[in-house]
This record gives sequence, C-alpha cells and structure tokens, in this order.
Amino acid sequence: MVMFGYTGKILFVDLGSKTLRTEPTEKYAKDFLGGRGIATRILYENPDALVFMTGPLTSFVPSGSRMDVVAVSPVTGLIGGSSTGGEFPSALKFAGYDGIVITGKSEKPVYLRIENGEVSIESAEELWGLNVFDTIEALTHGHPDLRVACIGRAGENGVKFAGISFSHRNLASRGGLGTVMGAKKLKAILVHGTEGTKPYNPVELMSVFEEIQESIISSGEFLRFKDWHVNFIPTILKLRMPYFGDYEREWEKAEEAAMKAREWFEEHTVGRASCFSCPLRCWGLVKYDGETLPINLCQGTFPAATFTLKTEDPELAWRIYRKCQSEGLDMMSTVAVVAYASRLGLVELGTEEVLEMIEKIVTRQGEGDILAEGIKRASEHFGVPAVYVKGGMESWSSDVRPFVGSALISAVADSGSVNRALYGFPEFYYYIKKEQAEMMATRFVGDVEAAYPWSYSESKVRFAVLWENLHIIADSLGVCVIALLTTPLKLWAKAYEAVTGEKITEQELMTVAERTRTLERLFTLKHGDRKDDLSPRLFRDEPKLDREKLEGMKRVYYSLRGWDENGVPKPETIEKLGLGDLV
Amino acid sequence: MPYLIVHEDKCIGCRTCEMVCSLSHEGVVNPDLSRIHVLGYKGEKFPIMCLQCEDAPCELVCPMEAIHMQGGIRIVDDEKCIRCKMCTLVCPIGGVLYDYINHQMIRCDLCGGDPQCVKYCPMNVIELVPDDAVPEARKRGVRILYGEAD
Ligand code: SF4
Ligand code: SF4
Repeated sequence: MVMFGYTGKILFVDLGSKTLRTEPTEKYAKDFLGGRGIATRILYENPDALVFMTGPLTSFVPSGSRMDVVAVSPVTGLIGGSSTGGEFPSALKFAGYDGIVITGKSEKPVYLRIENGEVSIESAEELWGLNVFDTIEALTHGHPDLRVACIGRAGENGVKFAGISFSHRNLASRGGLGTVMGAKKLKAILVHGTEGTKPYNPVELMSVFEEIQESIISSGEFLRFKDWHVNFIPTILKLRMPYFGDYEREWEKAEEAAMKAREWFEEHTVGRASCFSCPLRCWGLVKYDGETLPINLCQGTFPAATFTLKTEDPELAWRIYRKCQSEGLDMMSTVAVVAYASRLGLVELGTEEVLEMIEKIVTRQGEGDILAEGIKRASEHFGVPAVYVKGGMESWSSDVRPFVGSALISAVADSGSVNRALYGFPEFYYYIKKEQAEMMATRFVGDVEAAYPWSYSESKVRFAVLWENLHIIADSLGVCVIALLTTPLKLWAKAYEAVTGEKITEQELMTVAERTRTLERLFTLKHGDRKDDLSPRLFRDEPKLDREKLEGMKRVYYSLRGWDENGVPKPETIEKLGLGDLV
Repeated sequence: MPYLIVHEDKCIGCRTCEMVCSLSHEGVVNPDLSRIHVLGYKGEKFPIMCLQCEDAPCELVCPMEAIHMQGGIRIVDDEKCIRCKMCTLVCPIGGVLYDYINHQMIRCDLCGGDPQCVKYCPMNVIELVPDDAVPEARKRGVRILYGEAD
C-alpha cells in the first residue's frame, strides 16, 4: 500500500553484525502515529535500541521540523527521550526513511551514510576525537545540503549526560542519548535526500498550511520571539524560574547579571533563524570573537550558565554555552553537576575554573571522571547529598519549588524530565501574565485555580495530564510543541488528514497520547521502579511543597491515567488502549 | 512588467518558500524541486529565484529557441526543449533547474501572477514589484550577489 505523508519505511541498522533491513512504518502508524509514539513502541521491544523517528507531519506543515529520539537512558535506566528540530528530520524523510533504529555495538568507530535510500556503514576512525563543530565540518565540507547528527567528545567518553547534536544548534540533549550513541561507537549519521515527500492532497494541504501559519503568526509566541534573546534573561527572573548555584534561592547579583546579559545580546545578535518550515524564528544568531553561532535561549542554555553557575560576565557565560555545544553536552545536566562540584569546593562558580571543570568532565580527568557519571552517582561517591529527579537525572534548569504542577510531573514522568511534558504550562507564566494564565485554565479545565503555581487542586492535575498529552501529540506528529500549542488541535488534525488521507479526530489524537504515555509507564515498570515517583528530596523538604498534598495529586494523576494507586496501569486500561499484546 | 524582489535582511531561512513552491507546482514537498532556493552566504540566508532578465542569457543561449517571454513571464516550451541544460549553465543566479524526477526544465513562472512564495513567506521577504521599481531592485541584486548586504 502506498502511504502518504510517511515514506513508509523505517531503517534498522545492527552495528554488531553490520546488517541493514527495513520495516514498514504502516505496522506502527495507526496506533502510534510517529515520532515519540512509534519510537516508544519500538524501544519497548528493543531496549538496546537508539531510535530516531520523524512524524507524519514532519516536512509538511509550519513548524513540522521535528523528530524524536529515544533510548534507555544510561543515567536513569528508564526511557531517555528528547526531541530535535533543524534540518535533519525533514532531510531524513527526503532520503526515504521515516526513522532509524540502531541496535548492537560496533567494535570500531563508524558513521552511517544515508543518501536517497542508499545506506552504508563507514569508518569513523578519523572522526573519533573530534568535537561536534569539527565533525560537522569534516563530514559536510563544501556540501551545504548534507545533514549531520553526531556526538562530540562527551558522548565518545561515556559522559552520562551527553546529547546528540544536529548541526551547530539543535541538540537532543536530555537523558544521555549521546552516551548511548557513543557506546555503540556510532560517531555520526549523515543524510542527504532529494526525493521529497508526498502528501495525499497538496491543494488541501496548502490551505491548512495557510490557516496554521496564520494562527502561529497571530500568537503571542510569534511576537515574543521577535526580541526573545534580548528580553528572555530578565524575564525568567520575573517568572521566578531560576535557582542559583546548588539550589540556592537567592543570588544578590542576579538582577545585575541579567541586565548585563541583556545588553550583551543586544550588542551581539546579528540575526534570527528558524528550523525547517517554521515561522517562529526562535534562534538568535550571535556573533562573538569572529564566529557566528545560533542559540536558542531556553532556561537550560545561556540563562543556566548565568544563573545556576552564577556567572556575572556574559562573555564567560557565552563561552560556557559554546563549550557545551561543541562538546555535545546537555547543558542542563552540566550546570547542575558543576554547581554541585562547587559545593564540594572543587570549582569556583563565576570564574574560568568552570570551563576547566567542564573540560575535566569531558576528558574524565581527576574528579571530572566521577562527575561525568552524573549527579546521583557523584553524590553517592562524595557522600554529599544532591538534588536530582527521577532515576537520578539532573533536574531541569528551573526551580520547581514554586510550581506545584511541575513538581508533580517531575515525580511521575517516565521519559525525560518536565520539559518533555510541561513547556508552556500556564502556571509558569502566572507571575508575569496572570490574566492569560487564568484564561487558559478556565478554558481548558474550567477552573481558574489550575493557573495558580501554588495550587494542589484536582483541576491542576487534569491540566497537567492534558498538557502532557499535547506534548506527546506534538512529539509524535513531528511538530514543534511551541507551535502546536499556539494553534487549535483541530487544525493539526486537519493537516494530518490532508497529508495522510486518513481522518483523525482530536479525541483520537488524545487516545494515541494516552496509549503512548501508558506504554512509557509499562516500560518503567519492566525496567525500573515506581518507588521513584517522588519529587527530589531537597525540593520535598522545602516548606513550600506540601508532601501530603503532592501524594494526593499523584493519586489523582494515576486515576486519570487509568493506573492503580501504585501507578501501575490497570488491566482494563491496557486492554482499552490495545496494549494487551505487548504485556 | 512585475517581477520578484527579495528583502534579504528579513529572511529567517525557514524554507517555507521552497515548500510551497514545490507543493504548488509538483504536489510534493521537495526543496530540490523548488524554483526558489534559500541560499546561505556568509552566515546569512535568503532566497533567490529567476529575476526575469531583460536580455536573458538563458533565452539567448537556447539552441532550440525554446525560451521566450509570455505576458511578462519567461517560460520554456517543453515541446521544443531538448534538455541540453545550457540554460542552467549561463544563468548568473541559478534561476533555471533541471527537474530530475520528471525530466524537464523548471523555473520560476511567477505562479501565473500570484506567486505562492510571496503569499506564504512569514517574514514578507519576497515581493512582487512592477518594473518601475527596477533601480531599487537592481541595487539590491548587486548587494546580494556580492554579499554586501548591510
Ligand atoms: S533564468 Fe536566469 S538568466 Fe533566465 S531570465 Fe531568469 S534569472 Fe535571467
Ligand atoms: S519563506 Fe521567507 S523567511 Fe522563509 S526562507 Fe523563504 S524567504 Fe526566507
């Protein structure tokens, strides 16, 4: 059968036996759509796999730039999931594949070359040891249309929080996916595709495209991103998101550092950029020291260097950002680990020592060798307690203590930390846009309380579940969640129909999300421990978080998901979601 | 006669123009079959497409006289065209392409007067202007070609 929207094939590469095969995407598409859904489904049966999966809308719609990456996280032993945009995901479809599943390990460093359906496994001996930027340069030199996914030295050396880099900017950062790639001795994947992708109804697609684009452009997000870089750092202080150093609540220089960073970005931003197909232009191009590099200012990049690492000097913060990008490090974890090291007296925050410490982690010298194992194992080694979320993953670069919804989600999440579930959750912007947060809560769950960061209400749990579902839908369709949240779900459903020729309702999209979410939980139960459903110790001890009430919210969460009071999916839920054959 | 000009400083490199160009002409999304191309030059990105030259090298070089102006839009007569691809070599800005899937010469045809790239570009980078805007557009063209956009 010809599939529209999908290329129809998923590439399976076994690096141990050096064999290649394909599976029809059709096998999974109906129940799991694509992206995060299909990737989770494949991982469930192949826990050794590293899965890259685009969605049906990847390459077709505004902000349809994305791909999901999942593997078992070397830090948590649970699912490590992360999503990426840029040019690689659509290029993979243009080359004829919906996804790539890597199993086994190579003995020697290799890279995978995919050119319009032709696939080969090549030697990467000469690339091994190169950082991300040099690897991309070596592989694409003179060929601007080649797209690269690669690891830097961090992934090669088994640093537990290495990500997978897609060009100089996008990074599937969380959960140690680059560590998995490094363990497989897979340095890079090179993709070149000129075959294009075919929608079922191009005329209808152009019309939905226009509707979606108009919706995105008229959103607050589109306006906000105009001067995002310049404004973001002072804004996140007002949002009450950052923490400082090793989970300190105050830093007397925070305001000043934010203003300096703002001025610095004003001076050094030379342009704006987007991922494939996206009108949002959330990337800023920054020129510093003769080099132009893109940056997306989320809490976990430059702001984390500024606040968590108490870096007053924006130039130093930029060099920390550049160092993490070029080594292929998850910056959220890196700053958490370095800040923890400062408590041990191993590094002085706000100084050049931070860069030296990151180098030690990447090359695993001295204490860097222990810190590279992640914050949980380091804290066991040093005997000084640390804050971490489920399974030992370093926390999100924001303080969850003032935000009850995110404390809940960081306790129950099974795939990555809260940024995979709660980006854009209204409680986060309550302190700067009260009315809008209240309006959203009323509209979605019929209760204004769900907008209050401090609220433990049942409606807050319902809101969080809905938000998690929307994230899973975005990650499964191949659409950036930022854009998905700006636009009514029914338009995305309409786009899905124009692209694939198959009807889908909003309710059916929600069901796919529920199925995927429950499968993630089943994965945790198979490989992990549900006792981990606790928010981090230091967070819990904070008087602002009421442990009893949080336990109550968890019970509501479980029941909304159709799980029992221990967080185990009930047999009837498994049956209803059609997961019976898997368990 | 109208033609397209580019406000290159506004471009964010999203390639929406390439998507809708190939969708509307070919019914597929394929930047390589788009008649408009987003190029990177010294870190900046901007689209480039046929500018409907006055003394067009593509038309002059064509041995079959397959290329001619029709209602202000330069088109290729597919019957006469022998696919020698000479026009792709002489165009100074890469405005003519060979469609390697359907085996034909393709080029910007201004979508018959309602260019889709103009309509869909989220940053309003591309504009259809009447030819009395020639002087400004020419200067822009030179700045783009020599990377001297300020
Ligand atoms: S294709 Fe090139 S040479 Fe021909 S008219 Fe267009 S810009 Fe000029
Ligand atoms: S659609 Fe507009 S902003 Fe996007 S690449 Fe094309 S010209 Fe640039």
